[in-house]
Amino acid sequence: MENMLEVKNLRKRFGQNEVLKGVSLTLKKGEVLSIIGSSGGGKTTLLRCLNFLETANSGEIVVNGKTVYRAEDGEKPELTPEAQASFGLVFQQFNLFPQYSVIDNLCLAPKLKAKREKQDRNEEIEAKARELLETVGLSEKANAYPCELSGGQQQRVAIARALMLSPEILCFDEPTSALDPELTGEVLRVIRSLKDSERTMIIVTHEMEFAKGVSDKVIFISDGVIEEEGTPEEVFVNPKSEKTKAFLSGGSK
Amino acid sequence: MEMFLDVLSQLAGGFVTSFLLFILTLILALPLGLLVSFCTMSKFAPLSMLSKLIVWILRGTPLMLQIFAIFYLPGILRLFIWPQMNTGWEWFDTTFSTRFIAALVAFAINYAAYFSEIFRGGIQSISQGQYEACQVLGMSKREAFFKVILLQVIKRIIPPMSNEIITLIKDTSLANTIAVYELIFEAKEFMVIDALIWPLFMAGAFYLLFVGLLTIIFGLIEKKLSYFRS
Repeated sequence: MENMLEVKNLRKRFGQNEVLKGVSLTLKKGEVLSIIGSSGGGKTTLLRCLNFLETANSGEIVVNGKTVYRAEDGEKPELTPEAQASFGLVFQQFNLFPQYSVIDNLCLAPKLKAKREKQDRNEEIEAKARELLETVGLSEKANAYPCELSGGQQQRVAIARALMLSPEILCFDEPTSALDPELTGEVLRVIRSLKDSERTMIIVTHEMEFAKGVSDKVIFISDGVIEEEGTPEEVFVNPKSEKTKAFLSGGSK
Repeated sequence: MEMFLDVLSQLAGGFVTSFLLFILTLILALPLGLLVSFCTMSKFAPLSMLSKLIVWILRGTPLMLQIFAIFYLPGILRLFIWPQMNTGWEWFDTTFSTRFIAALVAFAINYAAYFSEIFRGGIQSISQGQYEACQVLGMSKREAFFKVILLQVIKRIIPPMSNEIITLIKDTSLANTIAVYELIFEAKEFMVIDALIWPLFMAGAFYLLFVGLLTIIFGLIEKKLSYFRS
């Protein structure tokens, strides 16, 4: 099967500090990739580069065989809407729009897109929004405002919102780190259900047990390089790198 | 009693002028202030420097001085540039509407400077995550600002904005220094011509009532926007 995503030699510097020192990875359709590693290692920066919230200094991003981003050192390529639309992102802090109801949070961006394309698809968009709310189990909250929801519910809305534009690859940036422990379960369950529907996902997470259970592939990033990669078995059970072993044993304390 | 009604109608006329100055200043200064705040926040250094310089001057000198400057400067400049065009001081003999416009321009740019700083504070207080969410959802910067950011900014700036707007209605009295027949000007006429002091206090009551009304309006807006937290 062909690779859905290919990342080639991605590098990112902040001033003198090189955070990503040439990261390459591949992902097939329907696969789930978990990225683990200690804070400051570059995993969030990698995710932000994939979503174009940071501009990688050099490297290439290929989605479905099409190069959506390529930069040589020193140049800043133009970001196309197609490149942006290839990826969806769920934030650690949810970042719902507080003044819009749940359903309007989902519909805002697609409706603006339809308006740009001079099409009237409002009914279709609203139907899709209700369908996605059902997927994340929040149909009855369609007209609630974000401030009336718990953190877990807000994150489930954020997941539905990210799915509205049907991204090829859905990314999660520590989706449960801002949640109380008793609320992480509902969010993880939603992510697991997305895996069952063959959605391609990249998850930056500290939930090792979850990563072990849900992933097809795990990457351990340390100091801006991929220190170890493989199946959950290979990385969690039989890590080869000393750094990975140290990280995993530290994490389980 | 007759005197009282006479004063009341004169003051009411003056208040209409004050109110016009107030509302037209708002209509001009609010968008202008937003524009200035964008200039101040611009990444293009010369623009933001210029904008900060102008805001410094407008906030750093008395409003009364600015009214004089805007009212007198065009005439004085003309005197220097085309002295032959002036046979005397006739340029000084302006109509009411030019005096009103001079005052309006002075108020609009002065308040735009203050508003711009309130806007800037409000805009910069919105979390980066809101902009990032808009970006990953494919919205343009313009859509993000007008559809997502602006209402959150408005909610946050209502308390400082209501302060400034309440100050504005009272500042309109400064226009009496260039003989714009606003509320205080009319009240002073009674003091000078009829040796009456109480019309001045009555003028005060006009301001007080109007500020009461503004307070209620701002309260309603705050309540209207209380359905969300940001």
